[in-house]
Amino acid sequence: MADTMQVTVSPHLHRRDETISRGMRNVLVALAPLGIWAIIIFGFNVVYILAVSCITAALSEIVMRKIMRRPVTLSDGSAMVTAILFAFLLAPTTPLWVVAIGSFIAVAIAKELFGGLGKNIFNPAIFARVVLFFSPLAVYSQRYARPFFWKTTGFFSPVATSINNNVSSGVVYKTLAGNSTSLVTAATPLSLFKSGRLLPGIVTGPTPVGSTWVTSSGRPNVGGLFLGLKSGTIGEISILLILLGGLYLIYKGTVDWRIPAGIIGAFFLLTLVTWYHPVDNLFGGGLFLGAFFMATDWVTSPVTRRGKWIFAIGIGVTIFILRFWSARPEGVALAIIIWNPLTLLIDRYIAQPRFGEVTNPLFSKLPILPKSKPVPAAKSAPEKT
Amino acid sequence: MAIKTDHKTFKGGVHPPYNKEMASSQPIKAAPVPAEVIIPLSQHIGAPNEVLVSPGDKVTVGQKIGGSEAFVSAAVHSSVAGTVKSITEITGFTGAMVKAVIIESAPEQPEFEKKAGADLDAVTGDRVREIAREAGLVGMGGAAFPTHVKLAPPQDKAIDTVIINACECEPFLTCDHRLMLERASDLVSGVKLLMKAVGAKSGIVGIEANKMDAVDEVRKAAEGEPGVSVEVLEVKYPEGAEKMLIYALTGRKVPPGKLPSEVSCLVQNAGTALALYEAAAWGKPLYERVLTITGPGIKQPCNLLAKIGTPISTLVDFCGGFRGEAGKLILGGPMTGWAQKDASAPIVKGTSGVLVLTADAIDVGIEQECVRCGKCVDACPMFLLPNFIVQYTKREEWDKAEMSGALDCFECGCCSFVCPAYIPHVSYAREAKAEIAALRKR
Repeated sequence: MADTMQVTVSPHLHRRDETISRGMRNVLVALAPLGIWAIIIFGFNVVYILAVSCITAALSEIVMRKIMRRPVTLSDGSAMVTAILFAFLLAPTTPLWVVAIGSFIAVAIAKELFGGLGKNIFNPAIFARVVLFFSPLAVYSQRYARPFFWKTTGFFSPVATSINNNVSSGVVYKTLAGNSTSLVTAATPLSLFKSGRLLPGIVTGPTPVGSTWVTSSGRPNVGGLFLGLKSGTIGEISILLILLGGLYLIYKGTVDWRIPAGIIGAFFLLTLVTWYHPVDNLFGGGLFLGAFFMATDWVTSPVTRRGKWIFAIGIGVTIFILRFWSARPEGVALAIIIWNPLTLLIDRYIAQPRFGEVTNPLFSKLPILPKSKPVPAAKSAPEKT
Repeated sequence: MAIKTDHKTFKGGVHPPYNKEMASSQPIKAAPVPAEVIIPLSQHIGAPNEVLVSPGDKVTVGQKIGGSEAFVSAAVHSSVAGTVKSITEITGFTGAMVKAVIIESAPEQPEFEKKAGADLDAVTGDRVREIAREAGLVGMGGAAFPTHVKLAPPQDKAIDTVIINACECEPFLTCDHRLMLERASDLVSGVKLLMKAVGAKSGIVGIEANKMDAVDEVRKAAEGEPGVSVEVLEVKYPEGAEKMLIYALTGRKVPPGKLPSEVSCLVQNAGTALALYEAAAWGKPLYERVLTITGPGIKQPCNLLAKIGTPISTLVDFCGGFRGEAGKLILGGPMTGWAQKDASAPIVKGTSGVLVLTADAIDVGIEQECVRCGKCVDACPMFLLPNFIVQYTKREEWDKAEMSGALDCFECGCCSFVCPAYIPHVSYAREAKAEIAALRKR
């Protein structure tokens, strides 16, 4: 036995189950309840979207890796996480070909072209969503269906959106069987606030769990918002399940609590101060999904504690600015994509004071441009332990 | 998730599986005297020793065979009675070539003659330093820094607290635990000598909470001794790192690049304190030490009192030999120890254990791209940015590696332990430190 010993550098122990694929698996586990809830609310169409997104992501990764002659790393699960997160950002009636394009953008362009997992500067799922948002395809991914719309189209029938310029609503839903219906769209809670309207008739009426969608004043019911009985993207609707999944990831150590706490805390504080529908703004849109699952992406968030706080509070403030002043009701995806590339700056120039450091500088003194040669500086005797 | 306790501790760190129960109940027993000992001439950090014997010379137990005039050095002594066979270059436990004296042991091994009648209360601080130097004492936790140098801090730095590192935070190792159980009163005498040497008013023995029996023993022994106290520390790695231990026990922070004397502390390993007692009371130089032979790859894990220079293979055979499929043979603990390619290397003064891992106990991953999860940053007890040290080392940007704190890294290995991408940060940090030091010299 003695002549076949392995020789490596210390340490010789590694934390059990601390691998990249394990972290990705934790995220998938946390996302599973959200997917199931979306299927209940929006019908089997969600499954088609998820399947198309995952298959496209896997194929994109394989093709890109082969072209770039890199080892295929599908087994680490990051492509699946990206695909599912991307699908969760879509309206539940997005046509499948749009889903495929978006998934390709996410994995092939936002991730692999930048150099693969660990090198991407944007969160791939958010990047693809924002590209769709600013492209001519936006019209397909912004029409939100009302909860339980499948009662009119059938649970298992795929829903396709087609544009009809002659119809004032602009969008007609067709099932594969050829039935078309335009009765399923519903404004999201946030777009209602933005347009100043209160709820139109289409979202009123009793919910399957007995309560009503709206309060007597015509606002969305807070319970409904929290549980997820509302229109929105596939993944954002149930705050309760997002919280459960997020807390699971924090418990597992996959996600740092500072980022969701900073984003939600800063945003909620600002809506409180301005009294801009604080509760509805908190539960109405993609804030929780973004804070717990998108902004916490390992690669595109800072590594230091101080950096995480700056990043998180920055995103929270940016979301508020976008929601309050821009013409759009939502701002989470844009805020995150603005702060993603700033991560590199934060990590490099926001100092992390070392143990025992007397001065506590906010910024580190790393050179902005590479120096021609390192400058040796005389220092006291090296540490002896 | 860690269970919160009110025991003293530091920020950062990790919780590796400890596996101490393998050897912690085994009383210390004497290892056999090998047919031949291989004693490296320099077993410390500092100036190399001159050889004082030549082939064919007869030596006795405890005879000085290597020494140096330089202040930062530690003499080496023969661990057996016998004949010097040769003086040759061997591959040391770090893989570097070192000069060693090979001594063939005589069939009859006389007991070491203890010098009787030393009055420990009467010795002066200067005398303690002399004793430490004569006995060739070094830090026995692994770093092997000459003890008498540590006992002579700069004139302008008064030491008020002596800290005894009895944490034994490295998994698997139990030798300090056994020493405290079996020789608590001698340990306390050693602490008093250390306090006297630097003129400290208080001496704190820091023990992790997984050794409560040792806490009781040492507390009992320290009863009525003015200034000597025992503190219980949280079980966390690296609790026994010098700066972490000082912070946990006193709340003082040693600034980057500075020594513990900066905050009026002196840290010594429990084994060193005991060796100092033996040197002062019995005139015994450091030629043997207690170490733990353990791990899933050892048939009978145990704690042995072994001669310096004993080949690892002799100790492994004494413990019943190897068990299971080949894995790793490590000199020291699993977090900072040195992997050996075979069992031929001798044990030295700084060897706290021999650990044998079977193949199934090793989690060997392939190094992947950093995913910037930040787990290494959270784990680093020095609050460094291990991922950036790796990145700058790969790009050979040494100035940035230094600014990221490469020189403050003491290679505890927490970063690699938690890294999901299996990046060997310690290896990169060592490279960065060596390169920066080389650039400074130029």
